[in-house]
Amino acid sequence: MRLRRQRRRLNKRIEKEKEKEKEKDESIESLFQQLNGSNDFTLSTLPYEEHTLSIGYYSTLIDSEILHRDIFPFLKDLDAISSLPTLLPIEEIILTTDISVVRDNLLKGYTLIFDVNNLNLFGLVKSDVDKTRQVSLPEVEFSVVGPKESFVESLDTNINLVRKRLPIPEFVSKELIIGKLSKTRVSVLYIQGVANEENIHTVIQRLTDLDFDQITDSSMITQLIQDNQNSPFPQLIDTERPDRIATAVAEGKIAILVDGAPHGLIGPTTIFEFFSAFEDYYLNWLVASFFRLVRFFAVLFSILATPIYVAVLTYHYELIPKDMVATLVTSRSAIPLPPILEALVLELAIELLREAGARLPTKVGQTIGIVGGIVIGTASVEAGLTSNVLLIIVALAALASFTTPVYQMGNTIRLIRFPFLLMAHYMGFIGVAISFCYLLIHLLKLTSLGRPFLEPFYPPRVQDFKDALIRLPYSLQSKRPIQEQTEDTMRFNGDKAKKKADPKK
Amino acid sequence: MEEKQKQISPFLVFFLVHSVQVGVGVLGFQRIIMKSAGNDAWIAVIAAGISINVAIMIMYLLLNKQQKDLIDIHKDLFGKWIGGFFSLIWIIYWLVIGIVVLRSYIEIVQVWVFPLINIMMFSIIILGLVYYNVTGGFRVVAGISFLGVVIPFYIFLSFLFPIEYANFRNLLPVWNHSVKELSIATKDMMLGLLGFSTLLMYYPYIKHPKKSQKWAHFGNLLTIGIYLFILIITIAFFSDKQVSKQIWATLSMWKIVELPFIERIEYIGITSWILIILPNICLSVWAASKGIQKMFHFHLNKVIPVILILLLFATVTIQGRETIDKLNQYLAIVGLGLVFIYVPILTVLSFFFTKKRKGNTGNG
Repeated sequence: MRLRRQRRRLNKRIEKEKEKEKEKDESIESLFQQLNGSNDFTLSTLPYEEHTLSIGYYSTLIDSEILHRDIFPFLKDLDAISSLPTLLPIEEIILTTDISVVRDNLLKGYTLIFDVNNLNLFGLVKSDVDKTRQVSLPEVEFSVVGPKESFVESLDTNINLVRKRLPIPEFVSKELIIGKLSKTRVSVLYIQGVANEENIHTVIQRLTDLDFDQITDSSMITQLIQDNQNSPFPQLIDTERPDRIATAVAEGKIAILVDGAPHGLIGPTTIFEFFSAFEDYYLNWLVASFFRLVRFFAVLFSILATPIYVAVLTYHYELIPKDMVATLVTSRSAIPLPPILEALVLELAIELLREAGARLPTKVGQTIGIVGGIVIGTASVEAGLTSNVLLIIVALAALASFTTPVYQMGNTIRLIRFPFLLMAHYMGFIGVAISFCYLLIHLLKLTSLGRPFLEPFYPPRVQDFKDALIRLPYSLQSKRPIQEQTEDTMRFNGDKAKKKADPKK
Repeated sequence: MEEKQKQISPFLVFFLVHSVQVGVGVLGFQRIIMKSAGNDAWIAVIAAGISINVAIMIMYLLLNKQQKDLIDIHKDLFGKWIGGFFSLIWIIYWLVIGIVVLRSYIEIVQVWVFPLINIMMFSIIILGLVYYNVTGGFRVVAGISFLGVVIPFYIFLSFLFPIEYANFRNLLPVWNHSVKELSIATKDMMLGLLGFSTLLMYYPYIKHPKKSQKWAHFGNLLTIGIYLFILIITIAFFSDKQVSKQIWATLSMWKIVELPFIERIEYIGITSWILIILPNICLSVWAASKGIQKMFHFHLNKVIPVILILLLFATVTIQGRETIDKLNQYLAIVGLGLVFIYVPILTVLSFFFTKKRKGNTGNG
C-alpha cells in the first residue's frame, strides 16, 4: 500500500516538474499576448532618461493607491531592476527570471516592473487590494457569554484571529493550494508537539491528493476529505468561532481554514462534540452539563417522537393508558388520514417552512415563520386534517432539532427522521428499533480522520467522558482527550491546580 | 495475532462474552429449568455459571498456549483435512446458533406483537442489519455487543415492578429436589449460555489477550447475575404451576408493570430485545464467516452474503414451535459436547503435542 502511494506521489512530482519545464520555454511575449486578452490587464511603458521601464498589472487586482504612492514616485531613480527591493518602501518584492512565477504573481495582485531592454530579470511588487468585510458577530453560533468575533472571508485575517489566541512558536500553519481553477489557499493549523503526527499527515495528505477544479468554501473540503462521503453525518466540525478553533487546536486537534470561507473545520471529532456549544466552556460546569444533556435528549426526541406516535397509533394503541386514550381520541376522531400520512404531511410542512424561511431575506422570512406556524397550523387542525397532539409533537421535534449548535448536524437529524417514520409505519415499534440499530451500526462504522466517531461511548474511554455528554470542572480536565492521541497528553498539572486554592485563615 | 488497529481492548471481552449469553433465552428459560428443579432452580443457575466459568478457564488455557484461533489450532494439530472437518463442525454449530436466535425472536414477535408478520421480509431486514454490521469488521461487531449490553440495560429496571406482588416464600423450602433433578436443570440452563464459544475465533483480535481472561469470567458472572435476578423474581411472582404454563415467563411478568404514560411494557421489552439479540446473531455469523474465510481463503465480504442467504433460507423454512424446540435441543446437546468434552480434549492434546514437538526439535 505504502509503496504504491509513494510511487504515485513520485509520478506526480515528475509530472509537475515536466509542466514547469514546459512553462519555462514560453516567452514573455506569449505571456503578454495571453494576458492582453483580458481588458483589465494594463501594460504601460514609462520612458525615463536612462532606460525605458515597462509596468504591468491587473487593474482589478491591485490597489491603485499603492501604485501611485509607493511605486511610481520612486521609479524615476531606479538604475537597475535588481535594486528594486532597496528602492521601494514595500517589503514583498520578488526578482525572478521565471515567466511562470511572473504569471502566477500577476494573478495574485503583484505589479510587474521590468526594463524593456533587459528581459532577463523581472521585478514583482506586491500591491494587491485587500477588500474584505470587517470581523463581525458570530451569527450561526451566537453566544451570550464569551468572545463575539467570527471568521471572515480572508484567510489572513482568520489566521490572525486564531494566532493572537495562541501566541506560541509551536503553533504552525501549513499552507496548501487546492483547485485547478480557483487556486484556493488552504491552511492546516496545529500545534507541533501536541497534535498527533499521524493525524497531521492524514489531513495534509488528503488535502494534497485532492484533485478538484474549484473550492469556494470550507464545507466543500469537509465533503471531499471526510472518511465516509456517503454518510449524512458530517465528520468534521464546522465552526465560525476563532475561539473554538483555538481551543480545539490547543486540545491537539487539527484545524483547516480555507481562503474565502468564513468557517473553519476541526478534526478529528466525535459525535458528542456536535452537541456541545462553545458557550458550554464559558458557563459553570453544572449549568453547561445540564444544557448538554438537554440538547442530547432533544435530539433523541426529535428523531423518535413522531415515529413513536405513528407506531403507537398504527399498531400499538393498547400501550396507551385509559386516561390518555381519551385525549387522543378527541383529537384524532375527525381526521380522515392514517397516522403516517398525517405525520408526513405535517413534517413536510415544517420542512417547507424552514426552507422558505432560509431562502428568503431575513425580514420576509420572519413573516413566513409566523404565517406558516400559526395560521397554517391552526387552520389545518380546525379543518380536521391533522390532530392537535401531532401538531404539538411535530413542532416540538422541529424545535428540538434546532438546538444542535452545529448547523450541519441539525440538517442531518431532520433528514434521518424520515426513514424512521416509514419504518414505524411498516413495523411499528420494531421498525423504529430496527432503524435505531441501523443508525447505531452506522455511527459505529464512522470514523473521523481515522479515529472512532462514537468515542468515548465506543470504544469506551472513561477518561474522555469528562467532556462529552457532560462537562466536568476544569480542575479535572488536566489531560487531553485520548481521542486525539496527542504527543503531549497533559494540558496542565492537575495536582498543582488543585492545591492552588487560597490559603485558609 | 491481527493488526493492532483491528484489535480491541481486553475489557471489551466482558461485553462480548456477556452479550452472546443473554438472548432470547432470558425471555423464557424459567419454564424449562423449573420443570425439573422447581423452586430450587436458582441453584441450577449458579451451578451452570460455575461450570461455564470452568469452561472459560479451559478455553483460555488452550488459547493462551496456542495464541491463535481455533481454525489454526485444528490445522496445526490435525492437519488440513481432519482439522478442516472439525473446524467445519464448529462453523455449522455457530451458524445454527444464529439461525435459532433469529427464528426464536421472530416467533416471539409473531406470538406477541404481529401474528401476521411476513417472516421473509422481517428476516431480510434483520439480516440486512447483520450484514451491515459484520462487514464493518470485528471492531464494529464488538461495538454492537457493547451497545447491545449498555443501551437496553434500562429494561432490567422494569423487573422491579413485579416485586411488589412477589411472594418470596415460594423459594422455600430450599433443596427439596434431588441432585439428579438439579443436574438436569443445570444442563438445561447451560443451553443459552454456550454462545461464548465464539471466543475461540476472536481471541487473536484481543489486545494483551491474557489480560482478558478475568473480564471473560466477569462477563459470565454478570450473565448469571441477570438470570438469577429474573429467576428469583419469577419464582416469587408465579406459582410452580403457573410457570409451567408460561412459555415466556419473563414477558408475562412485564404485563404487571403499569406506568402513568404507558401500559403493556412487554412491547417495549420485545422491541428493545432486538438490540440484545443482534450481537448474538452478528457474533455467530462473524465467527462462522471468519472460519470459512480462513479455511478456504475466500474474501470475507463474499462469504458473509452467502452465509446470510443460508440463514434466511433456514429461518423461512423452519416452522412451528416444535421444530424450533427440537432444533434448540439438538443444538444444546452438540454445544455441550463441543464445549465440555471436545475443548478439554483438544486442550490436553495441544499440550501433549506441542511438548512432544518441542522435545523433537531439542533432540534433533
